[in-house]
Amino acid sequence: MKKHNGGYFRKILHVDMTGGSTRTEAIDDEFIETYIGGRGFAVKLLWDNLVKNGPTDPLAPESMLVVAAGPLTGVYLPSSGKNSFASISPATGLFGDSSMGGGFGVELRQAGYDALAIVGKGRELSYLFIDDDVVTIVPCPELKGKGNLETEGRIRDRLGDHGVRVASIGVAGENLVRFACVTSEWSRNAGRTGIGAVMGSKNIKAIAVRGHQDLPVAEIDKVIEVSEQAYKELGAHDMMGHWQRQGLMGVIDYANVMGILPTHNFRDTHWEKSKSINGKTMLASHKIGNTACFGCPMCCGNINLVKEGKWAGTVTEGPEYESAAMLGSNLGIDNFASVLRGNHLCDELGLDTISTGNLIAALIEGYEKDLLTLDDLDGKPVMWGDDDRIMEIIEQIAECRCVGATLALGAKGVLERWPQLEPIVLHVKGLEQSAYDCRGASSMALAYGTSDIGAHHSRAWTVGKELEMGADWGIDEKADLVIYHQHIRSLFDMFGVCRLPWIELGFHEDFYAELYSAVVGQEYSLNDLLARSQHVYDMTRAINMKLGAAKSDDYPPARTFTPIHSGPLAGKVCNRDEYEKMLALYYKKRGWDEQGKPPITCD
Amino acid sequence: MRRKIAVVPEKCSGCRVCEMACAIHRQRLNNPKKARIRVTTIYPHPVVRMPVVCNQCKDAKCMSACPADAIYRQNGVVKIRHDDCMGCHACVEACPFGAMYIHPDIDVPLKCDLCEDSGLPQCVKMCPTGAIVFMPEHVFGQAHRLNNVLSYTHMKEIEYMEHGKPKRLHYADNNAAERRDRTGGER
Repeated sequence: MKKHNGGYFRKILHVDMTGGSTRTEAIDDEFIETYIGGRGFAVKLLWDNLVKNGPTDPLAPESMLVVAAGPLTGVYLPSSGKNSFASISPATGLFGDSSMGGGFGVELRQAGYDALAIVGKGRELSYLFIDDDVVTIVPCPELKGKGNLETEGRIRDRLGDHGVRVASIGVAGENLVRFACVTSEWSRNAGRTGIGAVMGSKNIKAIAVRGHQDLPVAEIDKVIEVSEQAYKELGAHDMMGHWQRQGLMGVIDYANVMGILPTHNFRDTHWEKSKSINGKTMLASHKIGNTACFGCPMCCGNINLVKEGKWAGTVTEGPEYESAAMLGSNLGIDNFASVLRGNHLCDELGLDTISTGNLIAALIEGYEKDLLTLDDLDGKPVMWGDDDRIMEIIEQIAECRCVGATLALGAKGVLERWPQLEPIVLHVKGLEQSAYDCRGASSMALAYGTSDIGAHHSRAWTVGKELEMGADWGIDEKADLVIYHQHIRSLFDMFGVCRLPWIELGFHEDFYAELYSAVVGQEYSLNDLLARSQHVYDMTRAINMKLGAAKSDDYPPARTFTPIHSGPLAGKVCNRDEYEKMLALYYKKRGWDEQGKPPITCD
Repeated sequence: MRRKIAVVPEKCSGCRVCEMACAIHRQRLNNPKKARIRVTTIYPHPVVRMPVVCNQCKDAKCMSACPADAIYRQNGVVKIRHDDCMGCHACVEACPFGAMYIHPDIDVPLKCDLCEDSGLPQCVKMCPTGAIVFMPEHVFGQAHRLNNVLSYTHMKEIEYMEHGKPKRLHYADNNAAERRDRTGGER
């Protein structure tokens, strides 16, 4: 057993909203060595809760919400501002988590906690205030129905401290929309898997945190030396200037050229109008500033202002690639100001932009194909690019009104009401697919299919590599790459750092092993750490199996098996036989049985 | 020649690398709340991100507010004598820029001393966007000065080709200006 001399406060804060009680749980070196932190701690806490209570409705009081930053969150190294929000997802009914950037996780750590675990349901709408070691539940009925920005501002005013960090839910979370997010600092979102609804189900409007403590670091000189070299290398990178100017908006052009840009509900993967929503358009007429998460030199956040037209006065942080594609090309919106408006509404209301853009696109296609009637749409049609109607539907989703009340149920709920939409709702396990088409790169289909949380790109983003250099890959290479991504990216979430310096600027993974070793004062190799990450991945699989997941849930959306009909990848399609073989091989390489059952069970 | 820290808020992304660099080098602690420079962030109307740090004022309000005479100037840098500080924080309140900081673990306010006057300050060295610069005092105001002068002259532009690439040249048409009176109207 290794003894960790830094990196951890060794404390988990437990809050029961039902009785309003709090307690701290001490964690030991074995716990640390096994789960590392962040998502790893969250998986272990959810596992224990599941064993204790058995499967419950994700929105029931017994369901647990975990917020966990990692041992590297807030440490002097590039892009260390991440933390995980996790629970059983109300969208999928399976394990769910989403990583938030910004500074919230740093503050939670500075308050002295490695993780926060919340169960129960408050009697009235309240916010949780963690003020170093003093924890209070403060009723706030006056914040009901308020947007995220106003909520954050009013809590800061009430506490008389501009520096308090607030993570809140908007109207969507209060109304239990299955893809409601948790939002902090204007637009840093734990966007996916509906964690905002879990918060809403507990009657928690916000979590406010203020912490002052030193982050424990075992070998500070080593951290300074290694990190400053890292900042220097990243700063000298050829692409750094591009990242600081465009951030992820540069990906629109890339995705369009590669033929993976979702267009009209993924019917097309290339759009002749993509220039109207790309990074250059943003720079030419809308961008007014940069923003960064904690410690990040890449500052990929873009602040944009609409200066003229019907959305004039809209100021928003974002969009990044996913939001611009899902609220732009995927809905046929060719006016960047409208994309900004949609992004702003989703941030304020607390909606995940990916799921929102995905489901509205399915609605439009369903209506176009006569799979839905005008009555289904409350008598008002919706077409590609119809920005007024689309903005109205976004608000209706958050408020669970009219057609929005159905979309608010997420892919699963939509398909229960309208089973005829099965071929055109792109989801895996009930989570809507994010903005990369996978038909030109079957490793990405496998990544979506096998992802523990559903069709989310950041579990394994293999599409770029396969399209660029995988022409002669067999299923062996593809399965290996997906598994490697699923482990290394989990490790980033366990550390509490961002993956972008690695995936986008080619920053070497060994750096993180070296840094982690310096922070905890013990030697760990990257392989040691990846083995921990694999164990955590097996645990989420076991959790999912206990909650009813089966092999049949490991397939990409139906559209993946119909050919792309235009653009650079026209004719490309995921071959079902190849997929079957790849999936079987993937299970085998993971040491899971033929039905995808891992070697451990959750009991 | 004295140099001091200037911030360019337009370039600040709010990443707080300056805070960490400051705290880790000066306090030997990984704690951005123990930094002598801190980023203040305002949004959405207006959107501002600005590192706030001591200006090393010539007539320092912190110094005159100190009831214990603990604040002094050495070689142009305003410093706090820790032994004399009584921790009343009158200086923190007196600073018109809010550029002194309090942390519950530390009695003496945190205040920038240009890294003990040892050359390039750590925050300047580490800022990833060039939002914090260290420059000679007489250069302060230069950007405004240049902007002012440029906007005063009658700037015109022409486009021309150089080695096959389009270029743009700005010029002031003083000939046209001669035809104008002091208020800018046609003579």
